[in-house]
Amino acid sequence: MSTVEVPSLQELSVDEIKVSSAVLKAAAHHYGSQCDKPNKEFMLCRWEEKDPRKCIDEGRKVNECALNFFRQIKGNCAESFTEYWTCLDYSNLLELRRCRQQQQAFDNCVLDKLGWERPDLGELSKVTKVSTSRPLPENPYHSRPRPEPNPVIEDKLEPSKHGSKLFFWNW
Amino acid sequence: MAGSKVKQDMPPPGGYDSFDFKRNLPKRGLSGYSMFGIGIGIMMFGYWRLFKWNRERRRLQIEDMEARIALMPLLQAEEDRRVLRMMRENLEEEAVLMKDVPGWKVGESVFHTDRWIAPTSVELYNLRPREELLHKQYGFLWYV
Amino acid sequence: MLLMLITYLVNPLMLMVPVLLAVAFLTLLERKVLGYMQLRKGPNIVGPYGLLQPIADGVKLFIKEPVRPSTSSPILFLLAPMLALTLALTLWAPLPLPHPMIDLNLGIMFILALSSLAVYSILGSGWASNSKYALIGALRAVAQTISYEVSLGLILLGTIIFTGGFTLLTFNTAQEAIWLILPAWPLAAMWFTSTLAETNRAPFDLTEGESELVSGFNVEYAGGPFALFFLAEYANILFMNTLSTILFLGASYIPLLPELTTINLMIKAALLSVIFLWVRASYPRFRYDQLMHLIWKNYLPLTLALIIWHLAMPMALGGIPPQH
Repeated sequence: MSTVEVPSLQELSVDEIKVSSAVLKAAAHHYGSQCDKPNKEFMLCRWEEKDPRKCIDEGRKVNECALNFFRQIKGNCAESFTEYWTCLDYSNLLELRRCRQQQQAFDNCVLDKLGWERPDLGELSKVTKVSTSRPLPENPYHSRPRPEPNPVIEDKLEPSKHGSKLFFWNW
Repeated sequence: MAGSKVKQDMPPPGGYDSFDFKRNLPKRGLSGYSMFGIGIGIMMFGYWRLFKWNRERRRLQIEDMEARIALMPLLQAEEDRRVLRMMRENLEEEAVLMKDVPGWKVGESVFHTDRWIAPTSVELYNLRPREELLHKQYGFLWYV
Repeated sequence: MLLMLITYLVNPLMLMVPVLLAVAFLTLLERKVLGYMQLRKGPNIVGPYGLLQPIADGVKLFIKEPVRPSTSSPILFLLAPMLALTLALTLWAPLPLPHPMIDLNLGIMFILALSSLAVYSILGSGWASNSKYALIGALRAVAQTISYEVSLGLILLGTIIFTGGFTLLTFNTAQEAIWLILPAWPLAAMWFTSTLAETNRAPFDLTEGESELVSGFNVEYAGGPFALFFLAEYANILFMNTLSTILFLGASYIPLLPELTTINLMIKAALLSVIFLWVRASYPRFRYDQLMHLIWKNYLPLTLALIIWHLAMPMALGGIPPQH
């Protein structure tokens, strides 16, 4: 039996993004459009490999991009962003519709200073093609080779000796 | 007995006057048809407002879902790392715990395959305080 | 430990005590309203305006000797009223007032399930009393309750189609544009009469018909156990009205004044309760066959037809709510 291979802690150490859900949700749409490339790359890797151990590098890039993204916001639009996510935090279920004013202020600031535009409704959920240099994994499920189809019966097939065993249902 | 003085009580000749016995309800309020119409009208108005709002709610839902779509890679990557880190820690702990057992292979897979099998939360949290497992399983449940 | 104490003891009590207080004063309100509708004063001796009457009633009932008929089935006889009150109080847990005590995404299912269980307390008490009157009263009450549950369930389905979820909280968001009573007033009207019947209130209170059934399934009860039944019944009335408010009378959440959510909700529920009393003061009792015909021959086909209509039309016009 094989042993489970787990990468060492060093390989796994990444600067995690330690922010709360309100912050994440407030930034989500801009984040989705800004970090589109690494995100899609990571998700494609996860989808194709079916194995988190093989997508650690991609995951690291996702985190880097996110960290960079939040740093840029903090450097340029800290005030309006804080206002926005605080508002979201106060609305019961992080409802975006309760904070349109703050959202507008944040969007304007981001557009002015960083040139980021809020993606339109439906843009983030579009199906996209991702060009990647990672080769397509072969047999990601580690399936055993398929067995041969049943061999052709060579003997002569004869009817059973005592007739059909389905005699009871003689319709 | 004949020629008795008793006078039989009889209706007046020619009968009583006719009197009005028909049920007489004053007609007030709206007619049935117009009340029915008003009722249907209220329903139609209600449907219109409700459907407009429901369409808007669907848009809001799409917005919410897109936020989730955008965040998913980040959260997934974090979760993957967390799981792998816990597995690594568990393996190290296992090596310490089972060092006296002869023939014990640390981190032996219980499955007859090489493919990735996501560990159950019990497996991950087995060597940790019980509260952490309970928190993992029942801690933050939100259904929306 | 302290946290456990708060979650498992203090929190439920914070819900139960106000509900029981509300029930106590609902009985006073009922007697007052009925009194004034019949040009008399109602209770006005105990305390100012008779305000302490429910407390006096409660004390009287609980210090009275609880009768335990010697031929009854003693365990079930005492268990039934306890079950009734327990269920009546548990029903309040998933109600968003504005935040539910237990947040269930299938809250409406939970409510339907529990309110069907309430039947067993009636049946149990009627049977355990070992009395013809109690048994027949219980059977009639049970038949009525489960019959009207059918229409309640179907009406709930109709509203769920409009709001898009079995979660009671979604009713708040769904009714921000318009109260559901406007587009679905036929459903609302049927719902209201069904709640009257479900809680065995006048004019559907024939299970407690005094002359023929000597107050129905709870004839043999006195003192404390009777008080439990009484509390359960009135708690159910208040609960049903609160539920009707949530379902039909709009979002209780006011964005500008979120503090007033509970007050808003409960004022509407209280108004509905007053309508319950008004109905009791105004209408003669139904006959049993009329009662059954109303549900099975009128409400059932109507609600079924309305569900089809309410399902088909939003689909056709693109007005279906978001599906979680």
